[in-house]
Amino acid sequence: MGGETTVAIGNISCQVDAGEFVSFVGPSGCGKTTLLMSIAGLIAPTAGKILVKGRAVNGPPPNLVLVFQEFNKSLFAWRSVLGNVLFGLDARGKKVRESEGKAKALIELVGLKGFESHYPWELSGGMQQRVAIARALAYEPEVLLMDEPFGSLDALTRLELEDTLLRLWEELATTILFITHDIEEAIYLSDRIWVLSRRPSEIIEELWIDFPRPRHQVTTRAEGRFMEIRNQIYKQISNENTA
Amino acid sequence: MREPKLNGMFFLLALLLVWELAARAEWVNPLIVPAVSKIVGTFSELLWSGQIPLQILASLKRAAVGYALAAAIFIPLGIFMGLFDNIRRALEVTVEMLRPIPPPVVIPAAMLFFGLEDEMKIFVIFFSCAWPILLNTLDGVKNIDRVLLHTASTFGLPQRKIIWQVILPASSPQIMTGLRVSLPIVLILVVISEMVGSTDGIGYFILDAQRRFRVAQMYAGMLALAILGYVLNQLFNLAHRSLLPWHWGMTKRME
Amino acid sequence: MNEPSKFNWTGWLVFGLFLLLWECGSRASPKLQLYIPPVSQIVVALSHLIVSGQVTTHLLTTMRRFLEGYLLAAAIAVTVGVALGYFRFAHSLTEMLIEFLRPMPSVAIIPVAILLLGIGDGMIVAVTVYASTWPILINTIDGVRHIERTLIDTGRTFGLARRRILWQIVLPAASPYIVTGLRVSLSIALILVTTAEMIAGNKGLGFFILDEERSLQSSNMYAGIILVAALGYVLNRLFVVLQEKAMKWRRGMVAREGL
Repeated sequence: MGGETTVAIGNISCQVDAGEFVSFVGPSGCGKTTLLMSIAGLIAPTAGKILVKGRAVNGPPPNLVLVFQEFNKSLFAWRSVLGNVLFGLDARGKKVRESEGKAKALIELVGLKGFESHYPWELSGGMQQRVAIARALAYEPEVLLMDEPFGSLDALTRLELEDTLLRLWEELATTILFITHDIEEAIYLSDRIWVLSRRPSEIIEELWIDFPRPRHQVTTRAEGRFMEIRNQIYKQISNENTA
Repeated sequence: MREPKLNGMFFLLALLLVWELAARAEWVNPLIVPAVSKIVGTFSELLWSGQIPLQILASLKRAAVGYALAAAIFIPLGIFMGLFDNIRRALEVTVEMLRPIPPPVVIPAAMLFFGLEDEMKIFVIFFSCAWPILLNTLDGVKNIDRVLLHTASTFGLPQRKIIWQVILPASSPQIMTGLRVSLPIVLILVVISEMVGSTDGIGYFILDAQRRFRVAQMYAGMLALAILGYVLNQLFNLAHRSLLPWHWGMTKRME
Repeated sequence: MNEPSKFNWTGWLVFGLFLLLWECGSRASPKLQLYIPPVSQIVVALSHLIVSGQVTTHLLTTMRRFLEGYLLAAAIAVTVGVALGYFRFAHSLTEMLIEFLRPMPSVAIIPVAILLLGIGDGMIVAVTVYASTWPILINTIDGVRHIERTLIDTGRTFGLARRRILWQIVLPAASPYIVTGLRVSLSIALILVTTAEMIAGNKGLGFFILDEERSLQSSNMYAGIILVAALGYVLNRLFVVLQEKAMKWRRGMVAREGL
């Protein structure tokens, strides 16, 4: 987008299995968003290739959806909550008449029952992001990409939405690729974490997170290993920041 | 893709070329649509002979007086209405009653009083930019952040100083907006009033040229008008930049 | 300037005073009466004109020309504006052309129009279309060009084809800007119609007002002016009502209002 070109991503090679919840963490500006946008087919990588279910990505893949960090710029201000979610179904090719029931079910699933006719400007940040998630899920994607979706929300709302997301994931068995700068959030949510280096980013660590599911905000985070992993990742990222 | 500005220039030149060809090859009636070269030639002729500058000056004179008068009366009025709610409410209805009158239809009324003299056009121009200037000034003063006023009071400033040192500068961007919006209005109404009732001025010149079938002159007049509009705009920006350098910087950054 | 709460007694009082002054001042000086007839006389003239149907043709003619010009301009300007705003190449081509034509006051086109189309409906509608197109066009281009990148990317991530992105995302997102342009053009269209009628017409309110002035029928002239103002006011109110209905999703958001 105009100006100099920076190499955001160096050498990244990884594989995600269906149904997994994986996260990318790394120092600011390491190209996490670029990575996700490339996977989503919104940016073309200058080298290398991305395969989704064995098919190369060349433009937005049909079974994949990206949830943006800036939900207030992504939601359709001229549509109600219901309208936004219906958009997801419509994009999938579902007829509007049959979809209303599904849309309402999704709205209830994300905890916004009763707000169907509200417009985005009437909702809080957390609620808006829920709408964006519901809209994305209405599309029934096999893969859900999420770019720091809870980054601009306050701490308590963040915890709430983490649990809502896990609940949805368990129910719908979607594959989720998650980006966050919040290390503990990544550990709490994921099956696997990749730690990225500074730009041009590479994977410096791959971690398997095998805490039992369903996860719990108090007990899971209280486990001894939780803090160990957290400190390990933190050290690596700090090194990157000071290197 | 080439630099966008170049694209635009090439496209413009291409259009002018097609126009020139069309007129010369008589694809269009050259009596009605003369060649670009002829128009430009006529234009420079009229420019150097002083004809066009004379007409433009006549128009500018009226425009300037009407504009200045409107500013001199409606900026202070707007400030008072913005500062004092009761004054605003008192005058509000009258203003709202007069506002829907489209300025051009006032011309015949002005002609009753002033005939075809300069005063007629000055009055029409005065009337036409009254509301943008008044309402913008009013808004600018009314919407000054309370915090700014409290800051002034907390420094113990007397009323008079608050008006000069805080209220005027703070509302000046909005006042500028009113003046800026009025500029094209002034130009439009000068032209209209001259077309309806005048014996000189650039508006009259263009219409007169059409009536006498001096078609190239008509187009030359339009060209002069376009240039005038552009120049006035640039002058206004210059004034904006020098009078309100702090605001100019802000608006430039937002683009 | 809106305080929907209390009724503005002072305002109406002052306005009433203004009318009273007008009435008395006019009656006091017979010489003045020719230029500014008393309010009562104007009101009588107005009602007479309406009741007798004298002014009906003029009113309808002006309204017809206005509607034709305005609606045509809207159709053209929105279409072209969206195209120019959406396709960067088209915009780069025409940007300079637009910048050169903009500073010229649209009314200057009237003599050319007379030359090409003579005097009459065609000419009047044509100049109205020309003048009214500009605000809508500029605002539409602006609105489409400044659409959030994220909004378009959202459409793309949902697999929408370019055409659907245009209809379902670009147009709604740009609609506030487009509506602003449409509102500004409302007054411009009325101004152009009446102006063209004054300069070269034989029907319509513009012509009527000028004609009555020529025959020194000042009461009728003022009545005509009031009629035009009333027409403009009604059109504006209508527009605002429609705008409120169509744009209720913006009610809570900050709307950038031009004058």
